[in-house]
Amino acid sequence: MKLIRSTDKSRRCVEAAFEEARMLGHDSLGDEDLLLGVLRTDEGIGAEALSSLGVTLKDAREMSEEMLSDALSSIGISLEEIRRESGDAFDMRIPYNQRIPFSPRAKEVLVRARKEMRRLGDNYLGTEHVLLGIVLNKDGTAVRILVSMGVSPETLEDRLYHLRGRAAG
Amino acid sequence: MDENTSTQVEGPRDPREGLEAVVALRRMLEALEAAQVENAVMEGWSWARIAEVLGVSKQAVHKKHAKRIRDRYPGEPPRRKGKGT
Repeated sequence: MKLIRSTDKSRRCVEAAFEEARMLGHDSLGDEDLLLGVLRTDEGIGAEALSSLGVTLKDAREMSEEMLSDALSSIGISLEEIRRESGDAFDMRIPYNQRIPFSPRAKEVLVRARKEMRRLGDNYLGTEHVLLGIVLNKDGTAVRILVSMGVSPETLEDRLYHLRGRAAG
Repeated sequence: MDENTSTQVEGPRDPREGLEAVVALRRMLEALEAAQVENAVMEGWSWARIAEVLGVSKQAVHKKHAKRIRDRYPGEPPRRKGKGT
């Protein structure tokens, strides 16, 4: 099964997710990158829901970077110190000649997104389906980022359905 | 050492934290390698000499880093003392 099709409305958000992953040095595309992708493309019900809950691209990126830095701190490594020691050449970005694969979690998000699309009787894969796929994985990194920004999975889900209802009515 | 954290020196608390540290370390290692190779090239080191210290083949280190370093210095070939490829 193809994870994303050329006709999908959310195609651009997946492309943006890869750009975010590359920029942040994520050697595989995580579910948090899909969240960043929705924020970066800033279109559809998904982006509207996030923005109405005060979730911004800048904050979400910072949270993702902070998690990496915290993970290194937990084993006694200071990213800041290494960055300082290495000088200008230290660059976390993934070079363009290196392919970034989907992580299993990101795949699962997109598979679930498509299931949600069908369940809701929609004939397009939109950013709202991607976000529903994201919140279904309570153990994912994206959900942790959202929670740290004060948005629970349930809150986001409710907001998405609310906005959908409004769009339909 | 910080008084408050001295009771937790045995390492990360839960496996997820430990595994995530590995991922973070891998990502950082790549950036660190890129930075150190670039620094060496700019110091005039040959690919052969860099590869030798890294313990990998000259081809491997060239393939992984040459293009990226060239792209970072458009129109300005890294200053090289040796003749290395």
